[in-house]
Amino acid sequence: MPPRLPRLLIAWVILLALLGIEFGASFLPLAPWPRVLILLPALAMAAIVGVVFMEVGRGPVVARGFAVAGLFWLLVLLGLGSMDPLTRTDYHTTVAHPE
Amino acid sequence: MSTTVVVETAELERSYLTDKVSIASWLLATDHKRIAILYLGSITFFFFIGGFAAALVRLNLLVPEGLIPSAETYNRLFTTHGVIMVWFFLVPAVPVTLGNFILPLMLGARDLAFPRLNLISWYLFMAGGAVELYALFIGGVDTGWTFYPPLSSTFSQGHVVLAVLGVFISGFSSIATGLNFIVTIHRLRAPGMTWYKMPIFVWSLYSTSVIFVLATPVLAITLLLLAFERIFRIGVFDPAIGGDPILFQHMFWFYSHPAVYIMILPGFGVISEIMPAFCRRRLFGYKFVAWASVSIAVISFFVWGHHMFVSGQSLYASVVFSLLSYAVAVPSAIKVFNWLGTMHKGYIRFDAPMLYALGFIGLFTIGGLTGLFVAALAADVHLTQTYFIVAHFHYVMVGGMVTAFFAGLHYWWPKITGRMYPEMWGRAGALIIFLGFNVTFAPQFLLGYLGMPRRYHSYPPDFQVLNVLSSAGATILAAGYLLPLFYLTWSLFRGERAPANPWGATGLEWQTPSPPPAKNFASTPVVTEPPYTYPPPELVQNRV
Amino acid sequence: MSDAYVPHEFQYSSADHQAGTAVAGMWLFLATEVLFFGGLFLCWIYARTQNLAGFDAGARETELWIGTLNTGILLTSSLVYSTGVAFARIGDNRRLVQCCLGAIGLGLAFLVLKFGLEWSDDFAKHLWPVGPDFKFTGPIAGGARLFYVFYFIGTGLHGVHMVVGVFLVAMIAWRARRGEFSPAYTTPVEVVGMYWSFVDVVWIILYPLIYLIGRS
Repeated sequence: MPPRLPRLLIAWVILLALLGIEFGASFLPLAPWPRVLILLPALAMAAIVGVVFMEVGRGPVVARGFAVAGLFWLLVLLGLGSMDPLTRTDYHTTVAHPE
Repeated sequence: MSTTVVVETAELERSYLTDKVSIASWLLATDHKRIAILYLGSITFFFFIGGFAAALVRLNLLVPEGLIPSAETYNRLFTTHGVIMVWFFLVPAVPVTLGNFILPLMLGARDLAFPRLNLISWYLFMAGGAVELYALFIGGVDTGWTFYPPLSSTFSQGHVVLAVLGVFISGFSSIATGLNFIVTIHRLRAPGMTWYKMPIFVWSLYSTSVIFVLATPVLAITLLLLAFERIFRIGVFDPAIGGDPILFQHMFWFYSHPAVYIMILPGFGVISEIMPAFCRRRLFGYKFVAWASVSIAVISFFVWGHHMFVSGQSLYASVVFSLLSYAVAVPSAIKVFNWLGTMHKGYIRFDAPMLYALGFIGLFTIGGLTGLFVAALAADVHLTQTYFIVAHFHYVMVGGMVTAFFAGLHYWWPKITGRMYPEMWGRAGALIIFLGFNVTFAPQFLLGYLGMPRRYHSYPPDFQVLNVLSSAGATILAAGYLLPLFYLTWSLFRGERAPANPWGATGLEWQTPSPPPAKNFASTPVVTEPPYTYPPPELVQNRV
Repeated sequence: MSDAYVPHEFQYSSADHQAGTAVAGMWLFLATEVLFFGGLFLCWIYARTQNLAGFDAGARETELWIGTLNTGILLTSSLVYSTGVAFARIGDNRRLVQCCLGAIGLGLAFLVLKFGLEWSDDFAKHLWPVGPDFKFTGPIAGGARLFYVFYFIGTGLHGVHMVVGVFLVAMIAWRARRGEFSPAYTTPVEVVGMYWSFVDVVWIILYPLIYLIGRS
């Protein structure tokens, strides 16, 4: 049996547990925007896959840099990109919605 | 100078050009030098197509009512010009030709990290180009190179899906090249070459490649969504069902603003190589220039909203983007000061590469400063979508980048081809281009300030004098761009044979014969000195 | 390094150097994929911000059990393939092939559930967001349409990446059967595993965005 196998199995169990947590959390009576917090278990799952299955720590140091850079730039895209719709002033039209 | 072994055997009379001569050996080449030549042919071809479209645009603008009868045709012409010049000339230009050829040589490497990926990158580029040319051939598209919905998604009669498909495909070529460069720079430097011993051209290619790999995927998803919007009417950009047309602009400019730095950063790198060589002095402030490249690449991702000040985007977002746009100008200015510092007390030679480089500094500075005008919210409200913007970006992209490309082409021509170009013709070309460029684009600042809108087929009669002046300048500019086509081609057959180091410059690429053997170096070089170690001026001899 | 003559034939200094370079290259490629899907996530943010009621009304129509089962399947497929990588590193090619086949089987199960069952159910329920037959009408219809635009494009693009992944894993299985891998050379096995697990990560993010957040 390969030495890594126990670690992989434990990670898998934790992933399924997190899946259960986010599944359960989706039934909680949260308001629409706080519901986005259901993403938190998902982010933890992504991190576990990245560290244990994709072995981000095993490659050369620069590989970790690439992973971090990808995530950082994603945050810039989503964060700075959201700034406009979140701070926009909506001027309502007088014409009713077409549908 | 670094310590290397240049083995003087008969084997080295064979170069990467003469080693194998079949067509298959070129079309299936994984040698970065051959791929660079393939790319050089491709982008030259696209440059002249885009240039031809520009010529027709300037021809139309000779008379106020527009010489070309149809406004729709005019729209398709300027779109052709923009799409071809941006994606099929400027974005690839220096990285895929000079970068592909020179980067491994500068690092002392045998080739790039993934040579087969490099070849695939060229085929992707050609595939994208073929689709784009087909789209243009069957009628083209009238939306401008920016493809804004709802014109592009709903109302345009042009071939939008094909046009964006061509760009989409070529984007993967960019990503592949950028990935290859970044991994090569991290992993394949010669022994002894630390980050601070790398030439600035490498730093600038690294910075460019960061933008390639992180910005281009966003363009890919944006164009994909636009294509779905047009084909299926998905409505993600359609306010009638709750979509947002400004979302397209955000996603498009998230790529396209950093893309303009893709276009200029390699040019900065070229100038940083030419200045020390032709002033015979160390580059002033090496670390500042190196980190300025990286900071431009990073900050360039934070400023895209300055293209959208009048789009309806939130005022608070506009303020933030305006502020950050002033920040991104600082590293560029640092570079300009460092080049000037390099020239100070240097032993300056005015060969063609240096003439181009000097032209670059002047024209880029004007273009960059006018960028600051339009980064100011209040000024931009009046200047946006006028010829002021057109003049601004042509000063940086053409006066800047194309000039830098020609500078680099002349500088490394002996290394790439083994031939010297005729120096007098080289200088003449540089001067004609500088003159023609200014006569073409300086009037456009005035036209924009006076209120002439861009992308308009006709204009009020009051603007005719400046338009005629601009079109006349375009003729001179065209002559200036055609000239190198002739004398560079001539030099391939009749040019004086070049020695390994015709300019007496430092750098590993000059330590191997011109043209280099297929394996680049006879043995792996070992680097012990920083770059640009020129002897003091009093010891400098004439060109070897 | 010393001044000794190093022949300039092979461009990597060692097998490890070459392997590490391939791994680094794959991480950089995956970073580009993060930005690619990231653009789509920005669309989710815009669409939900500007059309909350309709967007979540659309989300409530998704098949929660298929989505959740599929998530479990993909997590298991990552486990199975990573186990294969572990076997490759100790030289057990037979188990490697079995793990590859297992991962492929799970991947195909996902694809059948998603495109064979779930998508056809969605079409039957008139959830295709384009055209007059769409299930929702009235003021919430626009938001619901946008939800299903995100749903079909997101799951479609993810599915395309899965299909590519299945081919890659099949290639690894084929090469393993031919005995191309050994404890000294497992680079392709690892690099494909990174891609496979990454496609998993994309689904891990898509799952709550599609099935959970809007369901209140």
